[in-house]
Amino acid sequence: MGKDTIYEHLRQQGVSRRNFMKMCAALVGAMGLKQAAPIEASNLPPELARTAYKPVELVAKALESKPRVPVIWLEFQDCAGCSEALTRSQSPTVVDLVLNKISIEYHETLSAAAGYQTEENKHRIMQEYAGQYVLVVEGSIPTGANAHFCTVGGRSAEDLLKEAAAGAGAIIATGNCAAYGGLPKADPNPTGARGVWEIITDKPVVNIPGCPPIPEAMTGTLAHFIVFGSLPELDSLNRPKTFYAQTIHDRCLRRPFYEAGKFAETFDDEGARQGWCLYKLGCKGPTTYNACAGIKWDAGLSFPIQSGHPCLGCSEPNFWDGGGFYQGQSAPLNRPTLTAAGAAAAVGIVAGASAALGNKAQKSKAHKEASE
Amino acid sequence: MNWTDLLQFSRGPFFQIALLVFVAGMFYRLASILLLGWQRDRTPARGSKLGGVIKSYGKGLFILPFIPWVKNSFRSNAVTFIAGGLFHLGLFVVIFFGAAHMLVWKSLLGFGWFTLPLPIIDWMAAVAIVAMLVLAVNRLTNPVLKLLTGPAEWLNWLVVFLPFVTGYIMTHRLWFPYELLFSLHLITVNIMLIWIPFSRISHFIFYFFSRTIHGTEYGKRAVSP
Repeated sequence: MGKDTIYEHLRQQGVSRRNFMKMCAALVGAMGLKQAAPIEASNLPPELARTAYKPVELVAKALESKPRVPVIWLEFQDCAGCSEALTRSQSPTVVDLVLNKISIEYHETLSAAAGYQTEENKHRIMQEYAGQYVLVVEGSIPTGANAHFCTVGGRSAEDLLKEAAAGAGAIIATGNCAAYGGLPKADPNPTGARGVWEIITDKPVVNIPGCPPIPEAMTGTLAHFIVFGSLPELDSLNRPKTFYAQTIHDRCLRRPFYEAGKFAETFDDEGARQGWCLYKLGCKGPTTYNACAGIKWDAGLSFPIQSGHPCLGCSEPNFWDGGGFYQGQSAPLNRPTLTAAGAAAAVGIVAGASAALGNKAQKSKAHKEASE
Repeated sequence: MNWTDLLQFSRGPFFQIALLVFVAGMFYRLASILLLGWQRDRTPARGSKLGGVIKSYGKGLFILPFIPWVKNSFRSNAVTFIAGGLFHLGLFVVIFFGAAHMLVWKSLLGFGWFTLPLPIIDWMAAVAIVAMLVLAVNRLTNPVLKLLTGPAEWLNWLVVFLPFVTGYIMTHRLWFPYELLFSLHLITVNIMLIWIPFSRISHFIFYFFSRTIHGTEYGKRAVSP
């Protein structure tokens, strides 16, 4: 990896200045940049503020002056779906730009090399760029059985994560598994799986949850780090607010049907064909914070609810244990078993019967005393 | 612990425990009352007991609410009658015909039914909330009710009022994170479930006993000793 700036690298790749500026504009949009905080705070009239600060120019300047960012991408208990989603994203400008600006130095699935060479390269990057590289984690980290459920090169996932996190400039947990434990953490969690932020507690971890996460959320966050050298604003679950501030329900195109009480009752009834609300089919949209309904997937083509499937809530912690996927969101997580209900009823009847017997005895005693 | 964990708890284990306490408590109440014994019916009936029961329910549910002035309870305290009636109407519509509530019944019973649009449910909830506030003021001002109202009555009022208010705020997504409101709604509902068997809110089941017994008495047309 050379020390070229991002702009120089792109020029070498044949990107014209005009296209470069277009990419910068796309990136500004992807990051949801409006105005820098100091300028917003200065209360300048809008026409002055606009000339004082242009997000596109700011991004362009940053990319012209900064070298490419090395990325170490660790995979633990994952399916590589998050990597797939990112690399097969259909919005070429933004994703290509970001993938050009970062240089993925270590990735177990994508690396052409294998074995000791890649491990050596990883260590070299970790030393050479200490405090500068971005660590991306995909997949949950097992902690059960001395953390030996997942090993790479003979070392446990937990060990590898701690080593890489120590010198990282930024840590990004991509996908629900890395963020909150995801599928491996589902009850009964046989491997003792955990999310990254439960293990790395001394550094901020940016969570980009989803199954998989929206590629633009990932690239937008990476772009923010590249341009500003800092992490974007996060919510209480460490998700970037730009992408995770609103629920699916808030932006859903089927929302008017929810308000009007028009629901699809099954997947093939008239309501489903008419595109009515999927709440009764188990949609978790009201409690799911993600950008699916806004950014959508495949370059804004569609997202699950648009194509007729209820939201599973894949960007929320414990979504596998959050009730059945096709059970209404308001329904309790699980109903008591008949045995439990029967036992409760039996306890009640026994207690009630003994109370009644006591009352009866008291009554007959009072009766006797009265007749004597 | 974040809001999602709280929601998970209030929808999961807490709800289960509350429901089991509710079941045990209601069976306790039923057993302790029913096993007290029945008085044997020694007089021959001159009319139909079943007819009396049907008439009693029909009158109570479909006729008297529309001509309330014939009732003594209406003439003595109309506010209790009207606000109480509207509260119960709102309550039934909201908990049986709100989409979210129907799904709870469906998950517990295994079958569902039609639901009403959100605005109707919303207005019914608002009616019930206002009715409850009116009833509270009535309790504070009416001289007879003042004498009858103790801490237990206020607790009953609060335990029913809180689920209504949290549910209303939740559907309008006001002030707090949605998950927090969802959890608060469920927590207050769970507390209500636990409290019902041990309070007079259990009239939701004993009402049917008293109506039926009164109905048989009306229908029997005989003089009891």
